[in-house]
Amino acid sequence: MVWVIADPEAEVIALSPKTLMATNRFLCEICGKGFQRDQNLQLHRRGHNLPWKLKQRSTKEVRKRVYVCPEKTCVHHHPSRALGDLTGIKKHFCRKHGEKKWKCDKCSKQYAVQSDWKAHSKTCGTREYKCDCGTLFSRRDSFITHRAFCDALAEETARVNAASSMHSNINHHLMGNQIGPPMAQHFPPIFKPISSNNVTIDQTRCGLSLWMGQESQFHDSIPKSLQEIHQFGSVISGSIYSDPLVSTSNPPASGYHLNWVLDNKVSPSHAEELTSTSLPLNNVKENGARLVSVPSLFSTQKLHSHQTTSANMSATALLQKAAQIGATSTDTSFLGSLGTKCSISQIQEGNKYSGLYVSNTPPTSFGSDLENSANDISNLNQLQMQPAKRQRLQNEDSSGGQTRDFLGVGVLPICHPSSINGWT
Amino acid sequence: MMSLSPSLGSSYPWLKELKSEERGLYLIHLLLTCANHVATGSLENANIALEQISELASPDGDTMQRIAAYFTEALADRILKTWPGLHKAINSTRVVDLVSEQALVRRLFFEVFPFLKAAFLLVNQAIIEAMEGEKVVHVIDLDAAEPMQWIALIRGLSARPEGPPHLRITGIHVRKEVLDQMGHRLSEEAEKLDIPFQFNPVVGELEDLDVERLHVKTGEAVAISSVLRLHSLLASDDEPLRKKLPLALKNSNGIHLQRALQMSQNTLGELLEKDTVNGYSPSPDSASSSPLSSPVSPKVDTFLTALRGLLPKLVVITEQDSNHNGSTLMERLLESLHSYAALFDCLESTVSRASSERLKLEKMLFGNEIKNIISCEGAERKERHEKLEKWIQRLDSAGFCNVPLSYYGMLQAKTLLQGYNCNGYKMKGENGCVMICWQDRPMFSVSAWRCRNSL
Repeated sequence: MVWVIADPEAEVIALSPKTLMATNRFLCEICGKGFQRDQNLQLHRRGHNLPWKLKQRSTKEVRKRVYVCPEKTCVHHHPSRALGDLTGIKKHFCRKHGEKKWKCDKCSKQYAVQSDWKAHSKTCGTREYKCDCGTLFSRRDSFITHRAFCDALAEETARVNAASSMHSNINHHLMGNQIGPPMAQHFPPIFKPISSNNVTIDQTRCGLSLWMGQESQFHDSIPKSLQEIHQFGSVISGSIYSDPLVSTSNPPASGYHLNWVLDNKVSPSHAEELTSTSLPLNNVKENGARLVSVPSLFSTQKLHSHQTTSANMSATALLQKAAQIGATSTDTSFLGSLGTKCSISQIQEGNKYSGLYVSNTPPTSFGSDLENSANDISNLNQLQMQPAKRQRLQNEDSSGGQTRDFLGVGVLPICHPSSINGWT
Repeated sequence: MMSLSPSLGSSYPWLKELKSEERGLYLIHLLLTCANHVATGSLENANIALEQISELASPDGDTMQRIAAYFTEALADRILKTWPGLHKAINSTRVVDLVSEQALVRRLFFEVFPFLKAAFLLVNQAIIEAMEGEKVVHVIDLDAAEPMQWIALIRGLSARPEGPPHLRITGIHVRKEVLDQMGHRLSEEAEKLDIPFQFNPVVGELEDLDVERLHVKTGEAVAISSVLRLHSLLASDDEPLRKKLPLALKNSNGIHLQRALQMSQNTLGELLEKDTVNGYSPSPDSASSSPLSSPVSPKVDTFLTALRGLLPKLVVITEQDSNHNGSTLMERLLESLHSYAALFDCLESTVSRASSERLKLEKMLFGNEIKNIISCEGAERKERHEKLEKWIQRLDSAGFCNVPLSYYGMLQAKTLLQGYNCNGYKMKGENGCVMICWQDRPMFSVSAWRCRNSL
């Protein structure tokens, strides 16, 4: 479509529908063959040995011509929206206001303009993208956007998640309720499949409206998701501060073509690169179409999902536990036993930090060392470096109800509620 | 009173009987204790702790055992530096990592974790969007080691509706072989896709870079990408300060300096008072200290200003999002314990314990980083990771303003993370920047910038 910014000097030409639709109005008197242009007729006349004359381009300045659509209801009927090209206006008229006489034999598409029909036939069925849900796309960009929201993906992910949920549940449990900030939550990125038409049209539409009808599809905490939708809606300008996947995506048009993702030509050669290292997790996902928008270059591998058994806490969980323990135990001065007259013990008494997480019972043969070395146990408190992670310290042994016999000597740790300086 | 009899096979038989969780907790305790002893100069006590840790730690064991192994080695290394001759001697036959080994480890990091891939997606998308309409694009990579990023960009640019631009990529790296390899791969790719392309290698240390060598031409649109590299520039800032301070207090074996202890009192006290890393607290065994809260980093500032002078259309920074640049050992130890715990947990969740690749990553990548953070000081300590907010401050002061990362890029990255079949990888956006997390802990941050007061 040619957009003409209204040129006040331009000559507005309003042709009648008949004229616009007319093809081949230049007829050869000898054989009756029709031509769209006079020039072509003249050249044809040469073949009949008829006198011919090609019009020269006029030397005077030609006023720019713009054409309006004869259809009154059409946007281009008004001179300010006229088109600058005769062929363009002809095609426009046919496409929009004409009868669709040309039908594609492979699919059901119909066209009013023959050239459109030809162009379509060339590509129809040649390149197709198929989503797992069964929908077909001829355009890469609409396919990609569809995939982002396709339900099928949601089911797949759900199945996979269920399989590995044991592991994740353990961690989540151990780490307490740390999953607080909504940002860090695992969001379902998938929503009800949007028909491809909507998607392609929807370049700039506010994501909010697309979403409102889809709440029932969420399988995570709905209130949170709604919050994010609202947040997102107000941030359309582009500064995303919440999880982007909560809301719909309206990727910029230019972004589509980036997707080296599904370019299957790429994968085979790339597979070599990936297999060059003898990784145990070497199943390069050739089928890049598995996932949305992931370049096959970066195609993920089905990693050997090594699940920790319930007996193995993650190191992060251990650190948190240690911090908790450190915060709930009493002071003891140990360094003395190590043979050092150290003023650090004074600090301890200064109650800058709570003591050990081990028993303050007089140590047995090996115990002294253990306790001594646990001097500046404040350090354990320091384990919670990030303010966001500060936990309310509990009176009891907060490690989940089990008091461990840490020393293995039948002595249980004694926990006292402590005044935790600087920690509340 | 403990009788020290290291002559026996195991002085602490009961240690072996600890169950995994208890052992893990005890290891944490021991590490902290040991570090504290090191920081206060109580080497004898540190030695005891090290001995116990050695009984429990193992690079083949569970997560905590592995972490402890690397931390304990780092602490030992630090202690050993008190006797420079000894330190050098014990390392005299150590072979410097081969280029190929380094390349392998890099490749492993790229494959096993989604962090780099997600970051690349974000960076590339930001570049592509910034370069819409540009006919000549010049990308500068401040640490050009991973060709994958640029291969992806080349493909992305070639698919532009307006057609690909003329593309130049300038790669900076300390090793020529790496750049040669990269140039070769990229040129090959560009040729396949019929994109006018040029690769310019710049061999040398980033710290010594003269921006003239980048040959930025008028009329070209410049994008600068830094992936996990900028933090090492913070090391150079330490040097001048160190020289002014008194020499490190030397400890002879077994002597505990009263002064050291007094200093340590302040250290610990301050540690407790503040939970941020801003305090002024000298640690006696290194005698390095840095001035107060606001990050004074002239080297980085100069560098960023020089970059700004190139009038880049876009600067994208990817960095580890942890504070490993605390001025005291304890601060760094505590913080890095958490960060590397997350990384080791991540490996535990995704790769089998028997995997030699996992071992390589833990040892050659993380182990080396830990060693650098814990045992090195001054210009030697390159792994000066800092949190995003500090980088934001620096970039802001250098005359850049934030460009929110592309939503579409985030979508891609998030999908990638999910494709790793592991619940742990998360992503969150904050003020236009993105943090890639393991569980709740941000591990890496990506942020994009443009020159302020320019179109």
